[in-house]
Amino acid sequence: MSMEDYDYLFKIVLIGNAGVGKTCLVRRFTQGLFPPGQGATIGVDFMIKTVEIKGEKVKLQIWDTAGQERFRSITQSYYRSANALILTYDITCEDSFRCLPEWLREIEQYANNQVVTILVGNKIDLAEKREVLRQRAEDFAEAQSMLYLETSAKESDNVEKLFLDLACELIREAKQNKLDNNDTAPMPGEGKTISYLSCCSLN
Amino acid sequence: MSAPILQLSTDLYSLDPSALTLTLTNNSCYFLEVVKRWKLIICFVVCSLQKEVEAELDRLVGQEGTIHTKMLALQRMGPNLQLIGGDASQLSGMITFTCSLAENVSRKVRQLDLAKTRLYNVIQRADDILDLKFCTDGVQTALRNEDYEQAAAHIHRYLSLDQSVIELSRQGEESSAVDASLVMLQEAEQKLKVIVAEKLDEAVAAVDLAQVERFFKIFPLLGLHQQGLARFGQYLCSQLASKAEENLLLATGGDLGEKRALLIFADTLTLLLEGIARVVETHQPIVETYYGPGHLYTLITHLQQECDKQAQKIVDKFIQQRGYHNKFQIVQSSMMKSVPGERIEPRYVCVELDPVLTEVTLMNARAELYLRFLRRRMMADFEVGDAQSITQEHQQNVEKLLKHCLLSRTMQELIGYYIPMEEYYMRESVNKAVAMDTYEKGQLTSSMVDDCFYIVKKCISRALSSSSIDCLCAMINHANSVLESDFREVLYNKVRQGFPATTLQDIQRGVSSAVSLMQSSLQQGKFNTLGIESAEHAKAAFLNDCSKLFSQGGGSGDQAKIESCLSDLVNTSTKFKDLLQEGLTELNTTAIKPQVKPWISSFLAISHNIEEEEFNDYEANDPWVQQLIVNLEQLMAEFKAALSPVIYDTLTSLMTSLISIEMEKTVLKCSFSRLGGLQFDKELRSLVAYLTTVTTWTIRDKFARLTQMATILNLERVTEILDYWGPNSGPLTWRLTPAEVRQVLALRIDFRSEDIKRLRL
Ligand SMILES: Nc1nc2c(ncn2[C@@H]2O[C@H](COP(=O)(O)OP(=O)(O)O)[C@@H](O)[C@H]2O)c(=O)[nH]1
Ligand SMILES: [Mg+2]
Repeated sequence: MSMEDYDYLFKIVLIGNAGVGKTCLVRRFTQGLFPPGQGATIGVDFMIKTVEIKGEKVKLQIWDTAGQERFRSITQSYYRSANALILTYDITCEDSFRCLPEWLREIEQYANNQVVTILVGNKIDLAEKREVLRQRAEDFAEAQSMLYLETSAKESDNVEKLFLDLACELIREAKQNKLDNNDTAPMPGEGKTISYLSCCSLN
Repeated sequence: MSAPILQLSTDLYSLDPSALTLTLTNNSCYFLEVVKRWKLIICFVVCSLQKEVEAELDRLVGQEGTIHTKMLALQRMGPNLQLIGGDASQLSGMITFTCSLAENVSRKVRQLDLAKTRLYNVIQRADDILDLKFCTDGVQTALRNEDYEQAAAHIHRYLSLDQSVIELSRQGEESSAVDASLVMLQEAEQKLKVIVAEKLDEAVAAVDLAQVERFFKIFPLLGLHQQGLARFGQYLCSQLASKAEENLLLATGGDLGEKRALLIFADTLTLLLEGIARVVETHQPIVETYYGPGHLYTLITHLQQECDKQAQKIVDKFIQQRGYHNKFQIVQSSMMKSVPGERIEPRYVCVELDPVLTEVTLMNARAELYLRFLRRRMMADFEVGDAQSITQEHQQNVEKLLKHCLLSRTMQELIGYYIPMEEYYMRESVNKAVAMDTYEKGQLTSSMVDDCFYIVKKCISRALSSSSIDCLCAMINHANSVLESDFREVLYNKVRQGFPATTLQDIQRGVSSAVSLMQSSLQQGKFNTLGIESAEHAKAAFLNDCSKLFSQGGGSGDQAKIESCLSDLVNTSTKFKDLLQEGLTELNTTAIKPQVKPWISSFLAISHNIEEEEFNDYEANDPWVQQLIVNLEQLMAEFKAALSPVIYDTLTSLMTSLISIEMEKTVLKCSFSRLGGLQFDKELRSLVAYLTTVTTWTIRDKFARLTQMATILNLERVTEILDYWGPNSGPLTWRLTPAEVRQVLALRIDFRSEDIKRLRL
């Protein structure tokens, strides 16, 4: 692993109802395309993209999960080791917004407590069909202390920004963690407080 | 210029094939004669036209030569320019005329050519119409004789005729006659379609495979591919259904052997899927031969509907009889932390879960195998048609059929329940192994670690046997979680609690259990690589299996998934190694150090301010080092027996460091005579010689400072140090600072402090 050419490795997991555009967001970011008529995701898909941020190579492992209930137990197993979660809903679908608390409960239950969560409202190209007002989503995100961003996978709006902002935030936290850990020498067994972030940063 | 010939060709050009057609239907022999003659005429016309044009061109070219000479003459004639002008314009006119003449001729030739092509079409159509008559007659006879194959062949010929010919035929004078025969044909076609459908239905009802196949082959001749495949599919489905129902009845009713009973639903599903695979295999040739390539997909679509239905029945029975959902609920509520009220003893839950989990993974593996088989067959069938033309659409249809069929969804659901149950099984079994782990006196190893890793390995293997990559990855993730957080914590706490350091006995106990924990942790390291290796094998096998199917890049995606999940497991094993290192350091300081330290400080009690007599005494009766070696030997023997070689080596390394540091401290508290220094040198050599035999590490380096101290304590005079110092040090690298050298020199009671101070180091 240390042979590989990167400074940071982060795991990002996309979650949210089926059909909100998770797969499209990932494809747009990793392959630069908007896939026409691909079927619903089965289980989880895995993609990698390495980006450079302020001269540092950051490898992003992106896990795209299926939204349907029957895949829930598969996707849940990825929460724990995730550095960041992208919780996605569709701004033209009130239902996908109303399911967010349920997703937050999943996060609460399975994710590690250092995980960075960002709420994403996708499909802003369909402005005329909008059902969830921006202000409402922003308020919700703030109440849950999440970041918030609106995107369009189709028009490639904010997609790059979404992943790059996330990478920046993760680097910031990783650096912070390293400082903290140096202050108080970490003890083994306190595994839960040792940051996953610092574990995967390489020097 | 012969006008009549050109005229003739123009007539020919305006010839209307439909006009000909009219005559044709009446008297075909006569017509063929006419056609032959026309052909001759056309050839003749074309030839003579060509000759004429050539002659004309030759003539003109000849004229051109003359004109050219004339022009030269004219040029010479200078003053007669006006004349030349007239001649020139005349010439130009003539050339233009020639040109248009040539063009005219060539256009005529083209027209002739077109006429010829049309004539050939006419002949072709005449043939068709003759066939039409032949079909009309033939189909009647064949129907009368119940020769349906022959009748269908006639209809097939009729259907492949050019519809426009038929339309044209109906517009002519003899339209009524043609219409009549057409009506007859169409009637025959309808009649045949009905008969064949009826016959096929009859054969299906009678379960007469020979007849079913006979009429199945006739459908494509009548252009009824879809209908034929649907009816045939229906027949095959009813066969499958009755067999499946029989099997399910056997499975749920009869008394089965103990062993078979545990996997009866997986077995029943296997029978169903194998049955369908066999049907596909058996009938694929007949479909390909009579329906052409690319139609297997349609047949499988029909079969899959029955498969879905029957598989669902089996799974429903499985869920019901095994209490699958019920078990899931128990697990679910058990995993929720604080559930009030009665909690079912996990041990019983686990015992019941074990066989069901195995059965589910087997069911999924069978389904995956079956779906892979179908995919392979369908793609091969498309490829037979045209390897290049396997379109995106074909691929997508196949994927859609396989990934979104009810069988797939049902299996996904089963696996969805399986994962939390397997996770629960793993966690609870690990908990149990930890709880049951009690230290027994005299026992060096604990079963707990081995048990835990056995369980984790078992669960991952079971997930692997499901053939579902997502399922495997999910279980690797859970295993990682159990090992990294829960289990590591338990180990860590044990290490911590293992060293109360009150009495030697306690320490010994702590050491022993810690030793075994450490040892097993290292074995865990081995397990990890083992696990990875076996997963690598499985992965290789998987990918081999799937390589053809995932040729679009899905394969590499799956590989990346497994690799990523496994690398997390590798990270965990690194953390275990860190824990081991820490534990060993702890072991050294809390268990070894308290014992070794007094053995070394007993050195203080042995005077090294000695004369000849005592030196000889020591020679005969070793006062210290032999006892130290014996003690160390005993201590290390215990470790050596209990520890794996790698851990033992790490521990001895830590111990030798400890010894050298303690020795150094002790020596600096002593005073030495010349012979005392020699005595110390001898003692140190014995100790180093012994330690060299018990470890593979190089001891000399760790004892370099002590060895140098011994050298100093052995000097004759203070200034002798200069023979070894600075430029005279040769290969020796001093590990002692000048201050330390002075400090050691001062230990010699016979060295004067002024001499030591005066040294220039
Ligand atoms: N207009 C529009 N449609 C989108 C956008 N993102 C995804 N979609 C469509 O939404 C549907 C579901 O997308 P998908 O990525 O499969 O959703 P997933 O189930 O969350 O992975 C597809 O038909 C996409 O074409 C977007 O930004 N704008
Ligand atoms: Mg998707």
